Amino acid sequence: MVRMGKAALRLERREDGQLWAVRDGEERAVRVRRLFPWSEDGRHISLRDVDDGEFALVGPDEQLDDASAGALDEATKGAGFVLEVTAVLDIDEEIEIRVWKVETRQGLRTFQTHLDDWPRETPGGGLLIRDVAGDHYFVPAPGALDARSREWLWAFVD
Amino acid sequence: MSESDLTQDQRIIERYLGQPARLPDQVREVGERALGGPVRLYAMVDLAEARTLTQRWILLGERRVALVEPSGEARAFDRSSVRAVREEPGLSATLLHILAEANQPPLAELRYTHRQRRAVENVRFVLEQQIEGRSVETGSADVEYARAMAAPVREAQALVAGNRRAVLWRLLAYLAPYRRRLAWGFAAAAVITLVSLVPPWLAGYLIDKVVRPVQDGAVSMDKGATAAWLAVIAMALVFVVRQGAALVRLRLMAVVGEMVARDLRGEVYAHLQKLSMGFFSRKKTGSLITRVTSDTDRLWEFLAFGVVDVSLSLVMLVGLSVVLLSLDWKLGLVMVLPVPAFCWAIFWHGERMERLFLRTWRKWSSMTDVLGDTLPGIKVVKAFSQEEHETGRFSVRNADVTEEANRLHVSWTTFWPTIMLAIHGTTVLVWAFAVPRLLGLGGGGPTLSAGTFVSFLLYTTMFIAPIEVIGQMTRTMNRATSSAHRVFEVLDTEPEVVDVAEPVRLEPVEGRVAFEGVTFGYDGVRQVLRGVSFEVAPGEMIGLVGPSGGGKTTVVNLIARFYDVTGGRITVDGVDVRELDSAHYRRQLGMVLQDPYLFHGTVLENIRYGHPEARPEQVIEAARAANAHDFVVKLPHGYDTVVGERGQTLSGGERQRVSIARAILHDPRILILDEATSAVDTETEREIQEAMDRLVAGRTVFAIAHRLSTLVNASRLFVMKDGRLVESGTHGELLEMEGGIYRTLYTLQREMAKAI
Repeated sequence: MVRMGKAALRLERREDGQLWAVRDGEERAVRVRRLFPWSEDGRHISLRDVDDGEFALVGPDEQLDDASAGALDEATKGAGFVLEVTAVLDIDEEIEIRVWKVETRQGLRTFQTHLDDWPRETPGGGLLIRDVAGDHYFVPAPGALDARSREWLWAFVD
Repeated sequence: MSESDLTQDQRIIERYLGQPARLPDQVREVGERALGGPVRLYAMVDLAEARTLTQRWILLGERRVALVEPSGEARAFDRSSVRAVREEPGLSATLLHILAEANQPPLAELRYTHRQRRAVENVRFVLEQQIEGRSVETGSADVEYARAMAAPVREAQALVAGNRRAVLWRLLAYLAPYRRRLAWGFAAAAVITLVSLVPPWLAGYLIDKVVRPVQDGAVSMDKGATAAWLAVIAMALVFVVRQGAALVRLRLMAVVGEMVARDLRGEVYAHLQKLSMGFFSRKKTGSLITRVTSDTDRLWEFLAFGVVDVSLSLVMLVGLSVVLLSLDWKLGLVMVLPVPAFCWAIFWHGERMERLFLRTWRKWSSMTDVLGDTLPGIKVVKAFSQEEHETGRFSVRNADVTEEANRLHVSWTTFWPTIMLAIHGTTVLVWAFAVPRLLGLGGGGPTLSAGTFVSFLLYTTMFIAPIEVIGQMTRTMNRATSSAHRVFEVLDTEPEVVDVAEPVRLEPVEGRVAFEGVTFGYDGVRQVLRGVSFEVAPGEMIGLVGPSGGGKTTVVNLIARFYDVTGGRITVDGVDVRELDSAHYRRQLGMVLQDPYLFHGTVLENIRYGHPEARPEQVIEAARAANAHDFVVKLPHGYDTVVGERGQTLSGGERQRVSIARAILHDPRILILDEATSAVDTETEREIQEAMDRLVAGRTVFAIAHRLSTLVNASRLFVMKDGRLVESGTHGELLEMEGGIYRTLYTLQREMAKAI
């Protein structure tokens, strides 16, 4: 059942490590799903229970206490996590795949994309690359990368 | 780890993922100490709590689970203490909690990117099965880990890009059966190269040895005229020989290339027919078609022209250099020294063009995406009055393509005149060096003859073509080896289902089918069938029912031996299916699927597909039994009507009836019906059901249906859930089972039907 703007929603990360949502005396372990991860700045969030049913939909106007907002914020960061590219070191074309070597904020990473799986531009002007395993690599501002990285990316950005 | 110890999956991990291909020895040692025994399964977890990349390992032992941190520290807990496994999937990372009792801290908290997901899910699967009281037999931990990690790359790529040179040699080996033609082709090409060097030399000879001496009076007019005419005849002969050799070379090599392409196409297609269903489920059909068509065509081009062009261009350049240096080494150096620079410039231009092509390709894809979206969905576009919007969207992308294409044109139209200018500049340089020597400006008279100079000028024009070929050699080779890789991947794939050395032929199959503790998984660890056992007597009709994902289709796939079981065995008439001659066995097996597949061809050819020698009377009889005869007769060309690709010119019900006629004519002893009546209207369903009733008579039948009402007359019903056979009996027996799955499903469907 979807409920918005009704009884106060409370969220907390409990000792078992899971995020729990409580509303109307009903509580469930939930996970967060951002509805617009790129276009709306992650302000609409669906809280899903163990069976992937929607326990609550959290909109931008949802009033949350500080602790709940903090717990939700942390969970949202986890759900929206993508590797953030800080430099492109190499792009090589091989048989049916393109091999990328990049420096990310999380560390050095080599990944592969399909030849016709083009990087996607995000509304904020970033670039989103999806590899063959389904991982996403985000370049927040391709124009702000170093000259060598920009050169590597030249064929993939407008 | 030595190269020979690595499996192909491990090589993929090492080459592409930059991660350990298997559990590092140190981690294994620490882990086994914590587990108190050997590692059964493991996975690497690549994100730390702060979501930075790291290398943690989760290891599964017989009774314990261990976590080994990057520092080498290990902690372990009992498998029996795991109460639940919960995951929080995100865009690129998953948070997995291994939970103990409620409100207790989690036993483990793992964060990992999608890359690690399959390997972690193997561990998770085993833990979840254990929670449900089931045990899972796993294979080698290293093999399972490597398979899970390499799968995305393996599915995306033809094969690990190995040694291109080895691939090239293997490709060239296909020329061996045509070595005589090849030798003639090379000889003809060598003749072309050699005789091409003659005209410039002849021109120089004519000037220096005939024209000048005659003009100077050193040789008589008669003698000069004879020599001149001989030179003209020689020139004519040279051109005749050259074009004759060109004819031989082009024809022979084109034919040889075509033969090799034919051999490859035939070999690939024949091998594809032998491969197991697992291969086809991993590869896209389009990609396989490309390998048989475009890739072999590209290889034809390379073998027919590329090989000879590249090798002879090298010979031509060396030959020209030798001739020029021997004619006049100083002028020769002027001409020869810049050649490597020209080759490099063309190579560089090729690289730049690749990047420009990449951009154009991206824009082109973007434009064709609009076409691919809107034309099939034109009804929606019109219904929402979006024609103008779509036209605008297309215009923008069309303009983008034009802009990129123009950038491409600017590049090559700039480059080629420039490089030609540079080559001509070399010619000018030859002039600049030659003129003072022709005129003897340095004193002591001319040191260069007019004939040599003319020969030089003519030779310089011959440098252009081989420079161009050599400049593009890398690209040509890369394209050819890429195609060869894709073709060889198919040829190198071993069928997963193979017959034993002396297979058994059941003549005929009676149709007694037994499953004895059958376990099966498509990808090694995850089991979709778990200890399924049943026995079916000849002539019984078994309805396979139950929720989606329960294992119904897997049961029939195993009966057809599209895959081999991973545990237990399946017998037909008491013989293990793995002992059977699979082709002979399948000839006695029929299938009618939800979306019947008809081949491009006539109705007659489609009905006769499994029994090509069937007489027309037999075909008509089968069509009558399938309730297909009447509609076939009404088609303009009757049984000779071409049904089009995949039978698209017929309705779903008509296609289904043709496929039933095909099955009836095939006269199988074991028949598989997979949702055969689910995609048609009620009237058509009635006709098909009638046809089915005739088809199933006297055969062992396995029928899958979601609409349970179609199976009430089955001899027995098997209810499959979560890979297990959970209920079996007749319709009446199952309805009497209080709280039974079948009873619940049947009641639900009846209530829904009443509500409608």
